[in-house]
Amino acid sequence: MVVSKKASFSVVLILLVFFLIYPLVVDAEASYLVYFFYLTFVYVVLAQGWNLVAGYTGQVSLGQHAFFGVGSYITAITWNAGWTGYLDPLGMLMSGAGAAFLAIIVGIPLLAKLRGDYFALGTLGLGEILRVVCINGGSLTGGALGIGIDSSGYQSMRPYYFIALLVAVMTLLFLWLVMRSNLGLALMAIREDETAAAANGIATLKYKIFAFAAGAFVTGLCGSLNAYYIFHLHPAGVFSLNWAITPILMTILGGAGTFWGPILGAFVLAGVFELANIWMPELHPIFSGAFIILVTLFMPDGIMSFITGHKQRILQKLSPFNWLVRKT
Amino acid sequence: MLAGPLLEIENVNVFYGDAQAVWDVSFHVDRQKITALLGANGAGKSTLLNAISGVAHPSRGKILFAGNSLVKLRPEKVAAMGISHVPEGRRLFSRLTVLENLELGAYLPSTRPLMKESLERALKLFPVLKERKGQKAGSLSGGEQQMLAIARALMARPILLMLDEPSLGLAPLVVKTLFEIIRVLNRDGVTILLVEQNVHKTLEIADYGYVLKTGMLQMEGRAGDLLSNADFQHAFLGMMG
Amino acid sequence: MTGFPSFAIFFQVFINGILLGCMYGVAAIGLSLIFGSMQIIFIAQGAVMILAAYCIYWMFTWTSIDPFFGFLVILPIFLAFGWVIYVGFFQRVAKAGKNPSLLLAFGLMVLLEHLMALAWTPNTRTVSTSYAALGLDVMGINISFTRLMVSFVTIIATGAVFLFLKKTMLGKAVRGVSEDTRAAALLGISPSRVSAATFAIGMALGGVGGVATSITYPFDPYFGFLFSLKALIAVAFGGLGSVEGALLGGIILGVLESLSSYTISAGWADAIAYAAFLLILIFRPEGLFGRSVEKA
Repeated sequence: MVVSKKASFSVVLILLVFFLIYPLVVDAEASYLVYFFYLTFVYVVLAQGWNLVAGYTGQVSLGQHAFFGVGSYITAITWNAGWTGYLDPLGMLMSGAGAAFLAIIVGIPLLAKLRGDYFALGTLGLGEILRVVCINGGSLTGGALGIGIDSSGYQSMRPYYFIALLVAVMTLLFLWLVMRSNLGLALMAIREDETAAAANGIATLKYKIFAFAAGAFVTGLCGSLNAYYIFHLHPAGVFSLNWAITPILMTILGGAGTFWGPILGAFVLAGVFELANIWMPELHPIFSGAFIILVTLFMPDGIMSFITGHKQRILQKLSPFNWLVRKT
Repeated sequence: MLAGPLLEIENVNVFYGDAQAVWDVSFHVDRQKITALLGANGAGKSTLLNAISGVAHPSRGKILFAGNSLVKLRPEKVAAMGISHVPEGRRLFSRLTVLENLELGAYLPSTRPLMKESLERALKLFPVLKERKGQKAGSLSGGEQQMLAIARALMARPILLMLDEPSLGLAPLVVKTLFEIIRVLNRDGVTILLVEQNVHKTLEIADYGYVLKTGMLQMEGRAGDLLSNADFQHAFLGMMG
Repeated sequence: MTGFPSFAIFFQVFINGILLGCMYGVAAIGLSLIFGSMQIIFIAQGAVMILAAYCIYWMFTWTSIDPFFGFLVILPIFLAFGWVIYVGFFQRVAKAGKNPSLLLAFGLMVLLEHLMALAWTPNTRTVSTSYAALGLDVMGINISFTRLMVSFVTIIATGAVFLFLKKTMLGKAVRGVSEDTRAAALLGISPSRVSAATFAIGMALGGVGGVATSITYPFDPYFGFLFSLKALIAVAFGGLGSVEGALLGGIILGVLESLSSYTISAGWADAIAYAAFLLILIFRPEGLFGRSVEKA
């Protein structure tokens, strides 16, 4: 199915206008859809963050939840220290920057030394370590009970919605521009064959770290927004593996390494989860689990490839945990 | 004794993704003869063997083994029909011992009861393997590994043995022994399809040869005729090793 | 935690660590086998263990069958279960690369956990056998009878798998397929049959682990994920492709946790385990017993 550029552009525009207007015409507090869209926008960002590192650059990270949690904690700590305020852009930027900084520090040894699947496992360990560190962080991190922040500033759902929308749009724009630049080509070259890319003069480590840090940055932003939303952070909650796994599921379901895949995947999966939660709350996780299994069986290359009919051969390259570099 | 060639390849085309590797190739392999597929690197020889053994699938064309079509069969099914393919690079189980490699060669239910016998025959034919029975296959020398790969393929008592560049990377003396063994195997009744770049040595033992270039059949003929053919000599100048 | 712990206590902690490690080891072997054959981390291994634990629980509660006998029932059931799951699900996506298999494993885990929670409530269960509190006194060290039995069973299970891989044709085929699938196929070995068998064995090992879990810990439907993670770490320590390595990796992990837990705190024990995990990955990714693997 080939869609003309003009048609897809108009569709995007219409959707954007819809998203902008919707919360203004409904009662944002009572509207379930406003909450749902807010959540989905966040997931789109998380999914694309992973997509940049894994789908486009081929470095499968299982530690995104580390950056999410770090983002949440930075926001809470800086607010309590009086440096930033409620829904403060500075707070969010600091969270993003902190997460990116962490990614660079951790990324240099991990990305320099570990190929593919070892890297994935290393990132997995990272998230877990950070969770334990925060639990044992004493008064700074509030220990196992976490940190609370002043919730009296809460007025409306709308700011969250629009901030999430803004972050999502900017992330998508950033991704779009990057993947169409030479930088994007370099990233994909690294994914296809890192040795060949290096032999062609691409500074692979630099680019891998860039992708990793950029993904961490947007994930940190989401963590920050999450902190502003829930007002009380528990280490188990903000470092929950779900924050790593769900975006991955969404991206793979939608089509890793594509632009629209993660967006589609985010909406579809979030929709499925929420619908299941509404219609059959007791059975919801079961339904979700069954859904994942069914989609995997019948659309193993993701929804995008199903739609476009184009087999996503890059999935072969993403073999996480393929510890043996085996050539068939 | 059935008449007709053992293996017939008709108008076979093979693609790797979007790239075509074999263009409309036809040839056949006669029973109990040694047939050679010659050509430079990338000529499509390995691809043809892969298509026969089921590792690759032809997009068009027929492959008939004793009258049965091999197209779209999985490799394990092709092996069960009596074709043993020793792939390029041998692909031994390097972490398993020599003995274990051989035993796995006789995995098929039809050959497993004969394993003891087959082992004796294999070790007699390749005495060097007997000494190294308990060693890990990966620790063998290049020549020994090639012997093991062929011995392993023989454990399945194949009707047709396909060898992909067995002489690659081996010292001339080892190659000499190798080709002697191939000749002996053929005398014992095994039909052989031999893919090689070592043209001279191959045509010394082959009965018939096909020459491939960039995926297409260039010429064919009896071994002796090819050797004395002027075009052939010209094409393979420098490869008469 | 001041002063040097006395030797007896230290030894006690050490022994506890080994016993704990055996449990990790059993989960790790299954993981390692499945990985070698299908190239995915079967993240649902922990959930499978818990399923077995529930089976043991209900058998014990209704019929008072001792868990160690219940184990004889569990083994064939889980073997069959594994075969069915592989043929029904994983075989279909085997050619589509690793990601679908990974997703399937994840979906299976979610499904299992929540089905169990739905069927049997998320409440914690324990299997309290009459001998649960029994301890053996060996040279001043108290060894729990249950944990000792579990360790024996684990070692026997490891030995059985080891013998299977080394001595039987199917076992050799499993090793062959895990090294070079195509070469195996050319010899007439069906990779999908072998993978199904491997998966079935992996599940059976999960069953063994579940029996161990049921009598060692109070458990709930979501307890398994932690085991999956620990099994993963154990495999990383021991190295891939090595059954003995998986068990030893588990024991090392158990000892490490036990020591950290005693000398520092239980909370930090986890962090140390993960830190060690990272270090091993960076400095010796092939583990202590595995083959050399290509690094960056």
